[in-house]
Amino acid sequence: MSAEALVERRRAAAERRLAAGRWGGRLRGAVPPLVVFIAVMVLWEFSLAALGVQQFLLPRPSVILAALIDQQANLSRAVVYTATEALGGLAIGCLLGVVAAFATARWLTAREALLPVAIAANSIPIIAFAPITNIWFGSENPVSRMAIVALMVFFPVMVNTVRGLTQVDPAALELMQACAASDWQILRKVRVPNALPYLFTALKVATTLSVIGAVVGEYFGGPRYALGIYITSEAYVFRYPNAWAAIVIACALGIGFYLVVLAVERVALPWHVSNRQASS
Amino acid sequence: MSEPIANGPQSAIPPAQHVVEIVGAGRTFGRGPGAVTALEGIDLTIQAGEFVSLIGPSGCGKSTLLRLIGDLIPATTGSIRVNGKPAAAARRGREYGIVFQAPVLMDWRTVERNVELPLEVMGYTREERQRRSAEMLSLVELADFRRTYPWQLSGGMQQRVAIARALAFDPKLLLMDEPFGALDEMTRERMNLELMGIWRRTGTTIVFVTHSIPEAVFLSSRVVVMSARPGRVIRIIDVDLPQPRTAETRELERYFELVTAVREALRQRGDEGGAGALDDAALRIRAEGYA
Ligand SMILES: Nc1ncnc2c1ncn2[C@@H]1O[C@H](COP(=O)(O)OP(=O)(O)O)[C@@H](O)[C@H]1O
Ligand SMILES: [Mg+2]
Repeated sequence: MSAEALVERRRAAAERRLAAGRWGGRLRGAVPPLVVFIAVMVLWEFSLAALGVQQFLLPRPSVILAALIDQQANLSRAVVYTATEALGGLAIGCLLGVVAAFATARWLTAREALLPVAIAANSIPIIAFAPITNIWFGSENPVSRMAIVALMVFFPVMVNTVRGLTQVDPAALELMQACAASDWQILRKVRVPNALPYLFTALKVATTLSVIGAVVGEYFGGPRYALGIYITSEAYVFRYPNAWAAIVIACALGIGFYLVVLAVERVALPWHVSNRQASS
Repeated sequence: MSEPIANGPQSAIPPAQHVVEIVGAGRTFGRGPGAVTALEGIDLTIQAGEFVSLIGPSGCGKSTLLRLIGDLIPATTGSIRVNGKPAAAARRGREYGIVFQAPVLMDWRTVERNVELPLEVMGYTREERQRRSAEMLSLVELADFRRTYPWQLSGGMQQRVAIARALAFDPKLLLMDEPFGALDEMTRERMNLELMGIWRRTGTTIVFVTHSIPEAVFLSSRVVVMSARPGRVIRIIDVDLPQPRTAETRELERYFELVTAVREALRQRGDEGGAGALDDAALRIRAEGYA
């Protein structure tokens, strides 16, 4: 058998694996974490009584579930409001981050001046500014939280995108230079596609941050029906299962955002290493 | 500088036309006490249809010389002309294709779209791009793989895609920097045979960097032997093996003689202390001495 035929066979096998993996593998991949999740829930449910943990310190999953159903109307209103803040901030922060990244990647002087600042700013606990944005925009105004979220996601998005735009295989640049490509062509055909995986990595971080920013931002003030306010006020009047139910919703929101980014990445970057083999 | 009249395949090509003309070229990296002179006093003329290999110890400036010809970096001294123009003008006029040791394929593009990349840069129409990529992929025998992604291919196949891409716009000159250096011996020999086929069919002038003596002798019409740093041309050996080169070529007695001649030339650089290039006529006599 020729080497060619061998390679062809290998490729066909890889493709079959990919096709099979697309759904079957993904579902199979979801089984182990699901088992762990259920096991933890069961353990939680039955060990609390045995350990004598007070109900108000940590309610059982069944109690939280009951609160979720009971508080449906309040919670869905809260989650819509808070998700809007998170998404608004996410959109503004990502947009500005990407724009800043293109500017810094384009001009070397800008990069040398801005990138260290951005990397340093990345480690600032921006949530600490929440009381300040409340003063600026008013605590009832969702823009207060959007500003916090935008600021939180701006730096990781910018820093990652700059990396993606600049950390390009030097040989690829030589190749483009050899066919006298313009800077614009190099940007479009090499730098931008190279930056996409970096951008998606940043987006995954950013979605998680956005929910944290919005909910924690609301701890410092916001309308009564916001998710963060709901959590603090229910805890204040000792309705802990309701507070827990809202926390569960906040977690679900973060995970939901993350999964959306993951799905978009799968579709947008079918060529990327992380998407090559669905099954191991 | 008088060029030896080429024998072998070039004789079929009408009046000698200089595709590459290098006069007194040198390249120094850095400044001051830390400066590294990678190349010094390079004189080399390459005619249309030739297959010229550059061989020499690692770090002797082979890649640098290829980059000078391609105007990917400027020379610090001397002049380099490609197709009768300064190298920079030739690069801007897209007069050469280049292949590196790594295939440098874009992961996000299918094989066919990788081949089309330079054509897109040059503003070819979509139909023209597709026509040419199909043609080039059948030239390198990868027509069935045009919709696959590079990572689904073996190393040898990826390098063939890189060759197809370099040839897609019919450049008169093909620059290759150790294109098969990362391949195993078997694949490399097969790729050598295929490259010979491509060279014959396209009539492209090829400048080929290698550190493999057998590869240089098998492929080339001339082998340029370079000395260690600073890189200089120490000998140019005409390879008068019959064309077309086939698997049997590697069994010819003359083939072994030429391999020995190149090896000796590479070894002598030490004894001669990297002495300047001997003139072409003397080199030819030396090389013929092995006949
Ligand atoms: N961009 C560069 N900057 C500094 N030194 C370089 C650069 N490129 C090559 N050199 C030096 O020039 C010499 C020749 O390099 P190169 O042309 O890559 O050699 P070869 O391809 O023959 O192995 C080496 O000593 C290398 O260190
Ligand atoms: Mg090299």
